[in-house]
Amino acid sequence: MLDFMFVVFAGLAVFGALALFAHPSIVHGVFGLVAALLGVAGLYWTLGADFLGATQLLLYVGGVTVLLLFAVMLSTRDSQRIAFGRYLIGALLIGLLGAQLVHAAKGVMSVLAETGAPLVADPPPTTPEIGAAFLDRNRYLLPFEAISVLLLVVLVGAVTLVRRGPEGGR
Amino acid sequence: MIAALLQEAQAAAAPQAAAAHFAGSLSSYLLVSGALFLAGVATILVRRNALYVLMGVELILNAANLNFVAFARFGGYGLDGQMFALFVIILAAAEAAIALAIVLRIFHDFGSIDITRTDSLRD
Repeated sequence: MLDFMFVVFAGLAVFGALALFAHPSIVHGVFGLVAALLGVAGLYWTLGADFLGATQLLLYVGGVTVLLLFAVMLSTRDSQRIAFGRYLIGALLIGLLGAQLVHAAKGVMSVLAETGAPLVADPPPTTPEIGAAFLDRNRYLLPFEAISVLLLVVLVGAVTLVRRGPEGGR
Repeated sequence: MIAALLQEAQAAAAPQAAAAHFAGSLSSYLLVSGALFLAGVATILVRRNALYVLMGVELILNAANLNFVAFARFGGYGLDGQMFALFVIILAAAEAAIALAIVLRIFHDFGSIDITRTDSLRD
């Protein structure tokens, strides 16, 4: 069952990412990105990270893509066809990088096979532990508070960037 | 092609007992993450629209996150990988908000979000 879920979500993620890369329409590209992010959320669930999957769903699929769609509607006019030469250069570089990645993954896998890392079976729900870790003074309390300040700065900064001045200009 | 790569990596990891199952082996997650990363890099390289560059960055961040969670799960590192992935998600949301505000500003000032045309610092 878990294998089936993995294949479904991995297929969704890879298919969405390829759609974002190759589809000429940017709106379809955004929906490809939504599919990819959904697939990654599902993969988190198959890894036993339930809270992380829910966060991915809320923040990425719910929030970031809405922002992206608004930006697309406000700023893009033309079709997004790619010149063939750029495709070719991109494909070449991607091929090289992909070969390198597979090589590196093989190395990592051989090291892990030697050390025999244990597989934890059926991890319990993670939400209570994550909440406790965020509020534990010796673990993640300081980053947690720093993130709060950062989000406030981002909120004010985004409003300041896009606001029109009192004279109606910049 | 992905399936062939998957089989290749699993053959390389043959000593692992769990290699026969997709969801039970680290290599399958690494391959999905690698595919997402490559698609993100390809999007950034090939497109000239600033929004595509942003979306490519989001894909790359997701690939890295998937690696964090998979390594923590299969390496027995507990919750730390998930905590790091959570922080990455929050920072990516903040980055997206600011970057989209900048994109709208650029569109307002230049009339286009082609990243090769915003070159007024060169003059």
